[in-house]
Amino acid sequence: MKWRKADLQTYFQSKEYIDTVIVPLIPFGIASDVEAEKAAIQAEMITLLSHELEKELTGRILLAPIYSYLKSADRQTEIARMNMWSAEMKEQPFKHVFMLTFDPSWKKYEQELESTLLWLPAVQTGELNSKEMQKTVREQVGQMVELIRAYWQ
Amino acid sequence: MSDEKQQVSRRQFLNYTLTGVGGFMAAGLLISPIRMAIDPVLKGSSAGDLANVGLAVDDITSEPQRIDWTIDQVDGWYESEVNRSAWVYRNENDEIVAFSPVCKHLGCVVSWEGSDQHPNEYYCPCHDGRYYKDGTNVPGTPPLAPLDEYEQEVKDGMLFLGEPKPRGEA
Repeated sequence: MKWRKADLQTYFQSKEYIDTVIVPLIPFGIASDVEAEKAAIQAEMITLLSHELEKELTGRILLAPIYSYLKSADRQTEIARMNMWSAEMKEQPFKHVFMLTFDPSWKKYEQELESTLLWLPAVQTGELNSKEMQKTVREQVGQMVELIRAYWQ
Repeated sequence: MSDEKQQVSRRQFLNYTLTGVGGFMAAGLLISPIRMAIDPVLKGSSAGDLANVGLAVDDITSEPQRIDWTIDQVDGWYESEVNRSAWVYRNENDEIVAFSPVCKHLGCVVSWEGSDQHPNEYYCPCHDGRYYKDGTNVPGTPPLAPLDEYEQEVKDGMLFLGEPKPRGEA
C-alpha cells in the first residue's frame, strides 16, 4: 500500500493483513556540489526502489512517506526522531518497521534504532532509465523481498 | 505546328482551372463533416491496444515464465509508463495462457514455484496465497478468486497482451 487515499481505504478494511512499514530515508544537503549530486541520485534511486518493492509486496506493507534529514544534522537527534516514528507505527500495531537507506552512516547507529535498518550499497553508475538499471533494480528488489520474508517467518 | 498545339482556348483554360480549384475547395469543405460522421470507423480497433510483449510464440513452453513489458497509461493527471508482468505458459490443450501476477487477495506479486513447500503452484509471499497451474486459487488459502487472465493475440509469431480480465469462480 502507498500513502494515498485509495490505498488507505483498502488498508482500513484489511488492517490485520498489513503488518509491515517501509520508511525510505533520504539525506539532503546542497553545500557541496558533489555531495548534493550523490544525495539526489540516492533520492531518485530509493524512490524507484521503494515503489518497486511496494509493488511486489503491496498486500502486506505500507510504504511510508519519505523521511528526509539534513546530511549535516546531528545523528543522535535524528535517531530520537526516527524512533518516535517507529514507536508511533508500532502502536498501530505494525509488527515490522524497516528503514530503507543507501546512506552508510546509519550502519554505525543500527543498534540504537528501534526499527530494522535495510542498508543497500548504492549503484551510482549508469543512467537511471536504462535497461541495465532496470535489471539491477529488479534484482535488488528480488533480494529485498527475500530478506523481508525472512523477518516475517 | 505551333497552331496545332494551341488546342486549349483561353475560355477553356479558365473553365478547367476554376473547376479544379473549386472542386478542391469543395472537397476541403466536405471532408471534415464526412470525417466526423464516419469517425468511429477510422479509429483503430481495440486490438490495437494490445502490446507486443517481446516474446516469440515458439519460446512459450509448458513451464510458466515471467515476462515484463511497459505500456503508456493515461490516468487522470498523469501519463506514465507502466510496467506490466505476466506468467505465460502453454496448457495441456496447447493454448497459450497469460496470467496477471497480481494476487487476488491484496495485490502482492505471485511467482511460479515461489515456495519450496508448494511445487507446481503460484505462490504469494505476503500471506501464503496459492494458485494451481491453471490459475485457480487453492481453497483454504487467502485468495478468493482465480488469477486474472490477459487478453491475448498472436501476430507474426509474437505474443500481444492487452488488459487483465477477472475470471469467475472456477
